[in-house]
Amino acid sequence: MTAPAPATDLLGNPLTADEAALLAAYESLKALAAQPDLPPCAARNVRFALVALWQVTNDLDLQFEQLYDLGV
Amino acid sequence: MTNPNPQSAIRNPQAQEYWNPKNETLPRADLERLQLLKLRRLCERAAAVPFYARLWGAAGFQPEQLRTLDDLRRIPFMTREAWMEALVAQPLFGDLLATDPQHAIRYHLTSGTSGRTPIRVLDSPQDWQWISEMWCYGLWGFGIRPADTVYFAFGYGSFIGFWGAHYACEKMGALVIPGGAQTTEARVRQIVELGVTTVCSTPTYALNLWQKAREIGLDLARDSRVDKLILSGEPAGSIPAVKRQLEEAWGAKAGDTAGMTEVGTIMIFECSHQPGGTHIIEDHYIEEVINPHSGEPVGYGELGERVVTSFGRGFIPVVRYRTQDMVLKVPAATCTCGRTWDIYDGGIRGRWDDMKLIRGTNVYPRAVESIVREYAAIDEFQIHLWRKETLTDEITVRVEVKPDQAGEWAALAPRLRRDLADAHEGLRFNVDRVDHGTLPRFELKAKRLIDDRPVAQYKETAR
Repeated sequence: MTAPAPATDLLGNPLTADEAALLAAYESLKALAAQPDLPPCAARNVRFALVALWQVTNDLDLQFEQLYDLGV
Repeated sequence: MTNPNPQSAIRNPQAQEYWNPKNETLPRADLERLQLLKLRRLCERAAAVPFYARLWGAAGFQPEQLRTLDDLRRIPFMTREAWMEALVAQPLFGDLLATDPQHAIRYHLTSGTSGRTPIRVLDSPQDWQWISEMWCYGLWGFGIRPADTVYFAFGYGSFIGFWGAHYACEKMGALVIPGGAQTTEARVRQIVELGVTTVCSTPTYALNLWQKAREIGLDLARDSRVDKLILSGEPAGSIPAVKRQLEEAWGAKAGDTAGMTEVGTIMIFECSHQPGGTHIIEDHYIEEVINPHSGEPVGYGELGERVVTSFGRGFIPVVRYRTQDMVLKVPAATCTCGRTWDIYDGGIRGRWDDMKLIRGTNVYPRAVESIVREYAAIDEFQIHLWRKETLTDEITVRVEVKPDQAGEWAALAPRLRRDLADAHEGLRFNVDRVDHGTLPRFELKAKRLIDDRPVAQYKETAR
């Protein structure tokens, strides 16, 4: 279950449509990375996609968290 | 002031001046709010790391005490010595790791060759994403775009060096040419033959490449397409005389950057407006400047020691790390690029622990280099410290004169001797000419100071 995405960035500014879409993609990849039964090709490539979205959302102040528990 | 978000730039990302327009133009008040928020979360995580639990526990610091950015000063400094002690007590990484080593995908270590214990680091995929991202800020800021062909004159070893820049260029869509494990001549020929537009190297090695090109009959300003040099690894990238010499030799703009293995990547970069210094990536770092003796903060325009807190690499958190780097911070508005990020005027100006005491006068290798490089006839140099008749400390600058300018030596020597003395309270310098090609050349961090005094004062800067 993915937590509902916040409506603002870390500074309290409303998200733009692009930012909301990026954050949703990030949360979706996080949920996928947490799936225990993905084949190796999916599990590892999802993680590499996730770190790319982690970086974008980190740069845009949409989240500030670590993903080590997901193996990334 | 450049408009960070013109409609045309949004339609065409390549026209964007900034890699991250949102944060590179964030008003200072918002930037500081962001830093405080990140600092609190960083400290909450780091408090669970045994190294920080021990350090902070002894100082009575708890993350809840961070209510304003000024509360940063409640956090005790982290030092290289404490880091090294932790590594020795608990090889290989000490008790600094914030997560299971199994999450790591890469190992690197500091570049020191002096016998000091190198600092070893581990990073995860997330960390490497961030390491390359910091380079993206800098490389994009200096004008590198997907159409560029970027050459890395770098050995690709365990020293972290330009690894992050390599990945950054791939991320940005530029064509990357890894120039590892080749002779200097082979690299020069590749740069010319492959139509390289950007070269990444140390300032010293960029000069070496140019010298080698000249030896084999190539003029890089005429025969290559290089229009940008990205410099890192030595303070010389912001020494005006070195920069001028490189820009003339290559017919290219030279941009300075600086990073360190301890944080994994660069913290500062020179933008394409070339303001005479390097912007601090302030949405990913807090950079303080302190008096190296008292530990108290110094203001804009005052020389001090750089202290870094990184919001990036999570594997090994770095909070208030004393770098020994000598810097002078000036406000962002000093530059015309529109970024709100403050600047280190002159980049990294040297290291506090590089200082040599010669007959009562402080001598810094970078200060000597900045004078020597004003002489276009000089190809290479070395600073030699020695003791005369077991009594007097002497300083000799050995220089190689370019073969086609040997006739200038007679006039050059007394002028150089005088310029060095004038810049050092009248200290007498010996200036010797040596045969061309006899002094060592360097690919990575140049080591141009030799201390042959019986009790060597020189401390290797193992970074």
